Amino acid sequence: MTNIIDRRVLMRALIVLVVAAAASIAFGAWGSPAVASTVDTAVAHASAVSSETVATAPQVDTITQTAVEPDEEIGTNRYVQQFINGIVFGLLLALASVGLSLIYGTTGLSNFAHGEQVSLGAMLTFFFATQQPVSLPFVPVEFTIGWPLIPSALAAIALAAGTGWLQDKFLWSPLRRRKVSIVQQMIVSIGLSLAMLNFIQWWFGAERRRISTSIDTRIDMGVFTIGQTTLWSVAIAIICLAAVAYFLLRTRTGRATRAVSDNPALASASGIRVEKVVRLVWIMATGLAAVGGILLALYDNAAAFDVGARLLLLMFAAVTLGGLGQAFGALVGSLVIGVAVEMSTLWLGTDLKYAVALGILILVLLVRPQGILGRAERVG
Amino acid sequence: MTDVFADVAHEPGAKKPDPIVIADHVHRHFGGLTAVDVEHFEVQRHAITALIGPNGAGKSTFFNLLTGFDKPQTGEWQFNGHSLVGTSPAKIARAGKVRTFQLTKALNRMTVIENMRLGAAEQRGENFFNALVPGLWRSREQEITKKAESLLKRFKLYEKRDDYAGSLSGGQRKLLEMARALMSDPEMIMLDEPMAGVNPALTESLLDHIVELRDEGKTILFVEHDMHMVRRISDWVVVMAEGSIIAEGPPNTVMSNTAVQDAYLGAHHDTDLSEDAS
Amino acid sequence: MDIVLDALGTMMAPATAAFALAAIGLNFHFGLTGLLNMGHAGFMLLGMYGYGISTQHGAPIWMALIIAIIAATIFGLLLGWPTLKLRGDYLAIATISAAELVRYLGRSNTLQGLTGGSTGIRGNDFKFTFEELSPLPDENITILFWTNHGTKSSSWWLMIVAWVFVALFALLFWQLARSPWGRVLKGIREDEDAVRSLGKNVYSYKMQALVLGGVIGALGGVIWALGASVQPDSMGRPTTFWLWTILLLGGAATVFGPILGSMIFWMSLVIIKGLASAFIPSSVLSPVEIEPFSLVLVGIALMCLVIFRPQGILGNKRELAFND
Repeated sequence: MTNIIDRRVLMRALIVLVVAAAASIAFGAWGSPAVASTVDTAVAHASAVSSETVATAPQVDTITQTAVEPDEEIGTNRYVQQFINGIVFGLLLALASVGLSLIYGTTGLSNFAHGEQVSLGAMLTFFFATQQPVSLPFVPVEFTIGWPLIPSALAAIALAAGTGWLQDKFLWSPLRRRKVSIVQQMIVSIGLSLAMLNFIQWWFGAERRRISTSIDTRIDMGVFTIGQTTLWSVAIAIICLAAVAYFLLRTRTGRATRAVSDNPALASASGIRVEKVVRLVWIMATGLAAVGGILLALYDNAAAFDVGARLLLLMFAAVTLGGLGQAFGALVGSLVIGVAVEMSTLWLGTDLKYAVALGILILVLLVRPQGILGRAERVG
Repeated sequence: MTDVFADVAHEPGAKKPDPIVIADHVHRHFGGLTAVDVEHFEVQRHAITALIGPNGAGKSTFFNLLTGFDKPQTGEWQFNGHSLVGTSPAKIARAGKVRTFQLTKALNRMTVIENMRLGAAEQRGENFFNALVPGLWRSREQEITKKAESLLKRFKLYEKRDDYAGSLSGGQRKLLEMARALMSDPEMIMLDEPMAGVNPALTESLLDHIVELRDEGKTILFVEHDMHMVRRISDWVVVMAEGSIIAEGPPNTVMSNTAVQDAYLGAHHDTDLSEDAS
Repeated sequence: MDIVLDALGTMMAPATAAFALAAIGLNFHFGLTGLLNMGHAGFMLLGMYGYGISTQHGAPIWMALIIAIIAATIFGLLLGWPTLKLRGDYLAIATISAAELVRYLGRSNTLQGLTGGSTGIRGNDFKFTFEELSPLPDENITILFWTNHGTKSSSWWLMIVAWVFVALFALLFWQLARSPWGRVLKGIREDEDAVRSLGKNVYSYKMQALVLGGVIGALGGVIWALGASVQPDSMGRPTTFWLWTILLLGGAATVFGPILGSMIFWMSLVIIKGLASAFIPSSVLSPVEIEPFSLVLVGIALMCLVIFRPQGILGNKRELAFND
């Protein structure tokens, strides 16, 4: 039974991706001749590379990345380029939204503090990696850690996943045991998000921080270019997502996780230790969010305390689009949102690209609230 | 009372002399799973009809379809000669067919009397603009309150008048829900497992209330697991299994039908049909 | 002593009244009807834009207010149409997204000519119609310990008007909550299906509540703007979350809950900041860190409230703010 549904889900996912790709290529073929010579190309591209530059926070570190040599751009097709950017962004977003979806699936909680988990990953990496002196909140001592990027990132992921464990053990699990309603839990998560967001700002300040000082060399792929670091990021994201997929489909605990998602009462009755599964999901979700945050910080060259907060609604859009609580749906949803967001900059101002995602979200709620991959009966 | 059923055939989809509800070809499936597939179904006016069947027989789904809480893929059904296809639950209720729920839906954080008042029809103050002018609804409110109080007395809930509904026991909530349903003077009352979660002390009075309602001229259709109740108060029993109606008949004879026994035994072997099956 | 005076001054400030008013709107949504509107700031912002832009284009004050109300009404209708038939958490996600959508559109360069982009609309461009109506002298006035301008910006005049509005809408809430209309809403809060089974059109009632609460939110936004300016980023998600904190602090579904909540909320922010800058050395907590530090406390307060005292200060213990 579950296998049939999985296959159907994957089929639909495939169809959606193929249609999206076909549409973008069609647009590309139709639009490229007129565009190739416009100077506008470089501008659109550059601002897309530095993804979220509409930051309200002052940018302390100058972003050299935006000054990509224009001669590299001439051979590129900006539709293809934006599509690729969208896929990259979508993959990174997926790291965060898959976790959000897993938490929703297993506990029913729409976790509004998930964005802060993303920021936490990025900012903790900065904390370990930066050559500047850092300090802890309330402790007036400055020190420098300055580890290389990879150990810093690993430490940040471990710490972030630790916050997931802590949260579930000392906050969410007791709340579930007290049978606190899901609405109440959701508002608790809003409080947590408010507290964490401001805690991170208090700790690291409002400036955009760079976690890597090296400049990304761009590789020319003919119709588009892509940064070397970005390629690595994509590889890491794909490996992580594949690992999650393997975990969910092939391992015992993963199957238990899906069983809990489907029907917690039934899962519990059939001997699955729901609390243990949920604890694991929290650790996984927060860890993945941290990975997403770090990779996004590399992709965008910098991250501020509110990087995750800005992405939260995009994650919700992705998760809703894919069908609330469906882990694979979240992946497909993220890719669609990623592509939509990046492609939209071809027609709209870059400061409107997140608005596009929210527009899609509202549209989805209008026509197909169960999401692309969800089953109609779930909405009830 | 059973006289009216004298000429009714003991077969699925039997025609009744004076049907209040008629359903035809009602089909509901979830994905590939057929939940309800009823060819023909009639409910006799002024009688108590029981809808029984093993777990997963589609009783509750059928019940939801009849009350507008779920929509079938195909089918037609009418109430008092009016088609109810595509009608919202609220309109069905206003047409005079009110239901209760298996998991009692007492409005916990409202007082018992407020619960009752909410059941009333034709309160102009429920319109936003009228609500701003108390003069328009005050006198109707008094009528409603009077009626609510007399119903509460009848259902022995009057002492709980100003308590929050959430503080009532399971059985009291069932009574409250039934009393609330009566506030709008419905012609037909549909009870979804009225005995579920009711303690034995209250069972008898609940049964008496249902019989009393029939004697006042209301039509009652209920879904139930409790065989004792079915046998004691129902005038006619309809048995469902795997989404379809497999047998109909008076309570004393329908359980001896082999199709019914097969359905029950096929579903769970340990069910003793001669005794309480809840 | 300064802290106490500051705190008491904040309690009466127009901004406090603006948030109390918006929280009354939210009380119609959540307290009465149980709607999870997580985008209340969007209603406020639309009210601000409706008022500010129409005044800029020469509308008299009454017309500007009507336009603000219409903007919020349309927003509520558009928002409720797809989402009110769905489960509650969908409404939460849809409202928060729609509110952010409004903010993104408002601050975008595309609409700069209309909304002023991310800088918004300056106070001087839209406050004059309101300030012309002021009967108070055009100078600083000191009453007891507090000095405010008579008519300009965050003035005594605005303070009076703002609190009159708050009082009027609190009265409206009181009247509606005890009417049969309010009873249906409370029924919906408890269990939609039960209310449906009693013959009420649940969808229509939810829509009425959403629009009414949204309009009140928009008026709250107008008052806020009259004391500050129309600035899209001041109406982001944190604003909505503060409103929730205010409502839950005072007590959802109560008449005075939003007012008391708003007073305590703003007062405690002033007190926390005052105490922190007075007693914690700046090497431990620098001045720029005080703001986020106090908001961390707000977040924690919200969590604790929801967990330990969901009925708030004024709420009835038996009539909790949440379903079991």
